This record gives sequence, structure tokens and C-alpha cells, in this order.
Amino acid sequence: MERAVPLVVPLGQTEVFQALQRLHMTIFSQSVSPCGKFLAAGNNYGQIAIFSLSAALSSEAKEESKKPVVTFQAHDGPVYSMVSTDRHLLSAGDGEVKAWLWAEMLKKGCKELWRRQPPYRTSLEVPEINALLLVPKENSLILAGGDCQLHTMDLETGTFTRVLRGHTDYIHCLALRERSPEVLSGGEDGAVRLWDLRTAKEVQTIEVYKHEECSRPHNGRWIGCLATDSDWMVCGGGPALTLWHLRSSTPTTVFPIRAPQKHVTFYQDLVLTAAGNSCRVDVFTNLGYRAFSLSF
Amino acid sequence: MSSESGKKRKPKVIRSDGAPAEGKRNRSDTEQEGKYYSEEAEVDLRDPGRDYELYKYTCQELQRLMAEIQDLKSRGGKDVAIEIEERRIQSCVHFMTLKKLNRLAHIRLKKGRDQTHEAKQKVDAYHLQLQNLLYEVMHLQKEITKCLEFKSKHEEIDLVSLEEFYKEAPPDISKAEVTMGDPHQQTLARLDWELEQRKRLAEKYRECLSNKEKILKEIEVKKEYLSSLQPRLNSIMQGLAVLPRLECSGTIWAHCNLRLPGSSNSSASASRVPGITVTQAALELLASSDPPASASQSAGTTGMSQGTLAASLPVQEYLFMPFDQAHKQYETARHLPPPLYVLFVQATAYGQACDKTLSVAIEGSVDEAKALFKPPEDSQDDESDSDAEEEQTTKRRRPTLGVQLDDKRKEMLKRHPLSVMLDLKCKDDSVLHLTFYYLMNLNIMTVKAKVTTATELITPISAGDLLSPDSVLSCLYPGDHGKKTPNPANQYQFDKVGILTLSDYVLELGHPYLWVQKLGGLHFPKEQPQQTVIADHSLSASHMETTMKLLKTRVQSRLALHKQFASLEHGIVPVTSDCQYLFPAKVVSHLVKWVTIAHEDYMELHFTKDIVDAGLAGDTNLYYMALIERGTAKLQAAVVLNPGYSSIPPIFQLCLNWKGEKTNSNDDNIRAMEGEVNVCYKELCGPWPSHQLLTNQLQRLCVLLDVYLETESHDDSVEGPKEFPQEKMCLRLFRGPSRMKPFKYNHPQGFFSHR
Repeated sequence: MERAVPLVVPLGQTEVFQALQRLHMTIFSQSVSPCGKFLAAGNNYGQIAIFSLSAALSSEAKEESKKPVVTFQAHDGPVYSMVSTDRHLLSAGDGEVKAWLWAEMLKKGCKELWRRQPPYRTSLEVPEINALLLVPKENSLILAGGDCQLHTMDLETGTFTRVLRGHTDYIHCLALRERSPEVLSGGEDGAVRLWDLRTAKEVQTIEVYKHEECSRPHNGRWIGCLATDSDWMVCGGGPALTLWHLRSSTPTTVFPIRAPQKHVTFYQDLVLTAAGNSCRVDVFTNLGYRAFSLSF
Repeated sequence: MSSESGKKRKPKVIRSDGAPAEGKRNRSDTEQEGKYYSEEAEVDLRDPGRDYELYKYTCQELQRLMAEIQDLKSRGGKDVAIEIEERRIQSCVHFMTLKKLNRLAHIRLKKGRDQTHEAKQKVDAYHLQLQNLLYEVMHLQKEITKCLEFKSKHEEIDLVSLEEFYKEAPPDISKAEVTMGDPHQQTLARLDWELEQRKRLAEKYRECLSNKEKILKEIEVKKEYLSSLQPRLNSIMQGLAVLPRLECSGTIWAHCNLRLPGSSNSSASASRVPGITVTQAALELLASSDPPASASQSAGTTGMSQGTLAASLPVQEYLFMPFDQAHKQYETARHLPPPLYVLFVQATAYGQACDKTLSVAIEGSVDEAKALFKPPEDSQDDESDSDAEEEQTTKRRRPTLGVQLDDKRKEMLKRHPLSVMLDLKCKDDSVLHLTFYYLMNLNIMTVKAKVTTATELITPISAGDLLSPDSVLSCLYPGDHGKKTPNPANQYQFDKVGILTLSDYVLELGHPYLWVQKLGGLHFPKEQPQQTVIADHSLSASHMETTMKLLKTRVQSRLALHKQFASLEHGIVPVTSDCQYLFPAKVVSHLVKWVTIAHEDYMELHFTKDIVDAGLAGDTNLYYMALIERGTAKLQAAVVLNPGYSSIPPIFQLCLNWKGEKTNSNDDNIRAMEGEVNVCYKELCGPWPSHQLLTNQLQRLCVLLDVYLETESHDDSVEGPKEFPQEKMCLRLFRGPSRMKPFKYNHPQGFFSHR
């Protein structure tokens, strides 16, 4: 019967383009708002989408509530990293860091509050910023990325104060040990380095790819993501996503995710992680059990 | 005297003769036993003159001795015998000497002969050589005389004089500075000039011949035309006698006849006499009748008697004044059903106002249409009003006769005998023929399309569906695939006669695209079936321009694809020169295969799941498989070609077979490569209207594969050199958290960077 034939949605030029864009989207960064109700996610097209976590996690969550509340174009290149202060969302991509007001972001057509660029040596290509890290105690921001260095920016004045050198290849990710003022950084060279912020010196180096439990030589040695809550550290990349005990520097749990590149965040007892080649955000609870997935 | 000297010499000679001989013998005895005495060597040492003297002396001695012996014998005595004996011994010695001399003389003779022989041979050789040389000299002399006697053919050619040559010949032939001094070069140049001139003349001759033929033909045609005009003129004359008043056609005859005598020759004389009379008659009539413009108008509306029209037709044709044709078309148009009439009027109007390449015509028999004119209203009433009655009849018939049901189906799908033909000509002389039909009982319009090209195309196998009438217009507007009826009311009609879908009949009837309905002014709302749908001019007008433009771009893009496919099938990616800047000069990966695949096969491929899930793989699309190779690496690309190409880009899904199978689900960089061609396609469009998109995307894939393979990190565990050495210039191999490879090509500098 002709009437029974399912209605094929006619796809015009814009619909096809949007569908393709969605298919080839990569989510690089995410950040939970200071109030804990919203999650911002940045993709490879330079867009930032704000999801309502409270709506998605509520008992009467529908398909609609898993869609973004608002989406806007933030950078020209991909949004590689985002962090939230108590009022701002800081996002970084191609060599620049931008600040947005959380309060205004849910409105349409919001503009960035300010933008800064770390002091780079001149090069044909602007080095990207892969990671941002807030250090609340000294109210500063640490940026790291393509130029293999950690830059410290004073959030009060907006000036760049320190440079930490040591990585031999570009830096993928940063994490802060809150109890002792130390910063962890993981890079393409396969090492997780601990930096003492007071002395601006390298304290410890964990070369993850040298441990058998998590090393996956066919994927390379690079460390793609890193998170820590002072005693524990999660890191993954070329080697498998692994939970480390920092003081003894031994791996404890290997997470069951096969694709290499991830973004990982500790949030209370949750581990939020976005696999690189999908439009999903996986949420782990109890350190190993996948609870559900959020989608663009 | 001589005997004294001979006496003195003799013992001396013997001594001298004996001593060396003895000495030699002694030496040879004591020292060299193997070497023996050689008389021939001795000959060289001795002087023949002396030998001769020795011979004479010996002979004299012998004579003397003989004489003494005789003397002694004749004297007789006792001691004589002893003396004789002594004399005999002496004479024996002399004999020996003589013998020796004799031998020597023999050897000398032999030697002398040898020498003579040798000398003679030499002389013979010299003689032969001399003969040869003489012969050669003679031959050369002959040749020289032959050469001297040679006469070149060019001397017979009558060349233009020198002054004329330098005056007329172009400088590149005459080359005055070279030829002035060198008579040989001069002659060559003059000959060149002669050849050039003769060639030109030959060309001219040929042209003139063809011209002559053409003119002859024209004359022939004109003659024929004039001779055919004669009986018609006669009939007009008769018609003139019958008709008291004549309108516009009279003026046309006047023009015609004023012109004819000039253009024709002998045969015109026959028509001249009546021609003049007609002219006079027409001119007289003109004075009394309306001006021509209004006359033709009144002729269009009121119409003329068939006889005069038929008679004046060739004249109109000849004068390129198709009043009558247009009039006739309008006349026929009156019999068109309303939607086709709307289409006809709008298309004609659009063609006249905006697009001269559009031509409109009506096809089919008017008589059948006239015959239909009355019945349709009854039958429509039948079908629309009395549903209950219909049901009853069908109920009655269904169980009994399937044939009648078939007839009813045919009746239902019957189309109006008249159809409208639109010919849309594109820039490259390819023509899109559209034939619009009206299905009377279904109240929908259908269209059949056909593309003809200016030049014969070699049809590549993979381009099979590109220009087929079935699919060339598919999805002109998104989702408008023309497979089901746009009129919701039809569904109920179909139910009655047991037609499941219209799509089974589409090939025969043509496609009922939505835009066709809109061009015909038919508008069907989607929600509610509406019984009375009236043809609406404004709806048609509002869609005409966009649709025509869409049709044109569709045909052009299809033809462009057609061309590209032809070379893609041979493994050549035909990048045009104005798109060259998008790619590096050296691309190693190359296209190996380009084949069409079925929709079902595409759906079953394991790496196309994302596209299928996203709803981008409808059955109206065309599907292809490309294979790109470099060394051991094979990149499969499944391509979805939307009918709306090139405004909707082709979609690529990749699967790389190299060190295991890599698709977008297990390799980020494959995913990025797909993104590069699928999402960033706008960079690859090339110059408007971006017909080159598909080719550029394929070439881009080749470049991307090069980058992918060359930047792949080398596995340290494997020994040996890399299969693909890095040749592309890259700023960094990896960048960002996703560790992307540098896929973006920067044009003038030629390096690869990250997006």
C-alpha cells in the first residue's frame, strides 16, 4: 500500500551538510558549570554546546533533554580545552584562550569577555593549546600545548608569569594535585611529569608506556588524558586508560575502553569520559562501570 | 803471355781455392758438424767475371796439356808414360775445375731466372693497378660529365621575376638578407614562394567549386519552389475571385511577389504575369482594409477559411513570418486540458521573456482531443459524484471479469491525447526534451525526459543511470523522486481498480514529480484529500523560473559527471587546470577502480553504517565504489552520489586495507580524511558551478592517502626501511589531543599543516 510506505525525510543541501557535520564531529573538551547543573562541551568545529545535566539526569529525562540547551561558535579552530572558574568558562583552541561568562552564555549571541595569547616563539604555525588548568590557590591558569611548555597566567592581571620546560614533545593534558601544589602534565613523549609550582622544577617522571599492564605499543606511547585527585591519577592515550596510585606510582585498574584517545574528568565519585571518535560522553561510576552516555 | 800468367795464376788459384775449402772443412769438422758445404752460398761470394776468366784459362791449360800429351805420345819413350800420367792428373784437376764452374753457371742461371720472374710479376701488378686507376678515372670523368649535363626540373618552372618576387613575397619566405647574395638560396626561396602561391590558388579553386555547387543547389531549390508556387497562385486567384474581401494574407502576397521576380530567373516569367495582377489586386484591397497589424490580429481571433490559409502557408514559411504557425498552435492550445494549458502559456511566456533557449510545442492529435471535449465532463461526474454507484458496479464486476478490471485500470491511467513538449537548450548544445502529459482521470501531470547531446558520448559503464530518462530528473527538489502520485485523492481511485502504487506504471506514463504539478498550476495539500483542484496560473508562474534553472543545472551537472566517469573508469582522475592549485604537484596514490554498485550492496558494506544510520543513503541516490592504491595500501571508498549533485556533495566512506583494516570506527585519521572530503567539500568545489567536485574529492583522497601513509609512525619492532618515505613537507606530524595528521594543503607554499 502506498500509504504504508514510511515517509522518507527529504534531505536538502543544508540538512545533508548538517548530518555530515554531525557525523564527523569530535568532542574535544567539556566542563561542568560552577553550579553543577550544566555541562559545556566543545567540538572540532569550534562550537561550544551547553547541556543541562540536571535535565538529562532527572528521572523524567526525554530524548529532547539530552540535546544541547544552546550551541555557539567560540573559536575558529577546534575547542581543545575548557575550564570553569566560579563565574567564567575559559576555552582554548588554536593558540588563544577566551573567557565567557557562565551567566550570559545561555542567552543567544553572547560574546567573549576577554582573550589572551601566551608568548610564543614565532613559527609558521600557531601552536595549539591542548590543556588548561586552574590553580585556585594562586588564582592562576596553566596553559600547555603545541610548544612543549607549561605557561602560567595570572588571572588577576592577565599576564604570563612562568614557563616550565621539560617535555620533549607537545603536551596533551594537565592535572593538579590539590593537597601539594604540584601539577601533572602528560605529553606526546609518553611521560607524565610532576612539577612543583613553588620551585618551578620537575619533581617526578612516570613513563607510562614502560609498564606492561597498560602499554599498547601499536597505539604509541603518548598520554592523551590525565586526571587526578591527589592520591590517584587516571591517564590514558596510547597506553590503556589506567588508574594509578601516585605515591607508589603503580597502575591499579585498567578501564575497558579500546579506542585510544579520551577525555577524562573526575567529578565527585564519577569519571566522565568522552571517547574521541564518537559524539558521546560516557559516564563511569564506581571506577569501572559505564552508567550511561550523553549525546550531542 | 796469357799462358804465362795462367801458369802463374793456376797454382795460386788452386791454392786459394783449396785453402779456404780446407779451412772450412777443418772448421766444420772440428766445430760445427751439422753444417755442410753450400755451393749456392758460394756463388754469391764469387765474381762471375773471374769465373769466366778462370774457365778460359782452364780450357787453354787443358788444350795445352792435351797437345803436350799428344806430343809426348807421338814422340814415344819410356819416361813419356810418367809425363803423360802427370799431364793426365793435371788435366783431371782442370776437369774438376770445369765441372765446378759448370755447376756454378747452372746455379747462377737459375738465380737469374728467379729474379727475372719476380721482376716480371711486380711489373704485372703495377700494370694491373695502372689499369684500375685508369678505369676509375674514366668512370669519374663520366660521372662528372653526367653531373655537368644534369638539368633540374625547376628550370622549366616559370617563376615570377626577381623584382616582383622581392616585392610580393612575405619576408619570412624571401629572406632578402640571405638570398640577395646567394643565388642558390634565392632560387629556393623563389620556389617556396611559387609553391605557396600555387597552394593558395588551389584552395581558392576548391572554394569556388563548392560555392558554385551551393549556388547551383540554391537555384535548384528556388526553381522548384517557384514551380510549385504556380498552381497555388492559380488556386489563390480562384479564391480571390470567390472572396470579395481579403485580409492580411493579401499584403503578404504582395510582399512576396514583389520580391520573387528579382530572386528567380527564367521560371519566374511564368508566375510573373499573375503575380503582378495579384499585387495590383492586393494593393487595391489594402487601401480599403485595415492596417496589417490589426488585420493579423483579427485573423488570429476570427479565423480564416481553411483554403486561403493552406495556400498562404508556404509564403509565410518562405518569409519567416510564422503568424499562422503560432496562430495554429494557439488554436491547438485551446484544446489542451487546463493544467497543460497553464504550463503551455507560462512556459511560452517565460521562454519569450527570459530564456530564448526554451522552445515549446504541442504534440498529439487535435481531433482526438476534440472528441474528448464533451465526454470528460460526464465521466468526471461519474467518478466523483456517484461513489456508491461505482462501488456497486465494481463489486458486480470484480468476481466475474478480471479483463474488465484491466480495462478500468487503463481507463483510469489514460492520458490526454495532447502533450506539451519543452526543449531546453544548454550552453554546450545539449538539449533536454521534456514531454508533459496529463492523466485526465487522476488529475495529475507526468513528465518524460530525454537528453540529447551535441556530440556523441562514449558511455562509460558506470554512467549508466546518469542520463537515463528514469533518473535524470529524480529529486530535482529534495525528496521529489516522482514514484508516487502527488494527488492524495488518487489513492482512493487506485483502491477501486486494485492498483497498488503508481510506481509500477511510472515508466510508461512518465514521472508525476511535484514540480511538474506546480508548473501545471496544480497544488495538492498534503494533509487532506481535496476533490476540486483547479489549475492556477500564479502557482505555475512562481515555480517556472527556479524549476527551469534547476533543470538546466541538473542536465549540465549530469553531463559533466558523465565526462568525468569516462576517465575515472580508466583510472584517471581528470583534474582540470583551474583546480590544480588544490593539490600538490606530486600525487603518488592513484585511482585503480571506479564501478557502480547497487543500493543493497552499499547498505551491506560494513563501513557505511554511519551514513545509512544518518538517513543519507536513500534509494534515489546513485552508489559507486572507488579503489585507490599506493603500494600495498588499498583504500576503498564507497560513494553516495545524491541526485542533487553538485549542490549536495557526494559522500565518501573509507576503508583502508593496510596493516589490518582501518575504518572510521577504529582510526581517527580515517575519520578525519572522510571529514576532509565530506565536510570541507566547499574548498574543493572549484570554479562555479562546481561540476568538478567529484573529481576534486577523489584527487583529494589520493593526496590524503599519501599524507596518511607517509606520516604513519614507523613501528620500531619491524626491521627494514619504511614502505612509504616521507616526501610531503609537514610542519608537525601530530597535533592536538586527537593526534591528527597534517591533512590540510597550503597552496602556494606547498606544505601540509593541520586544520
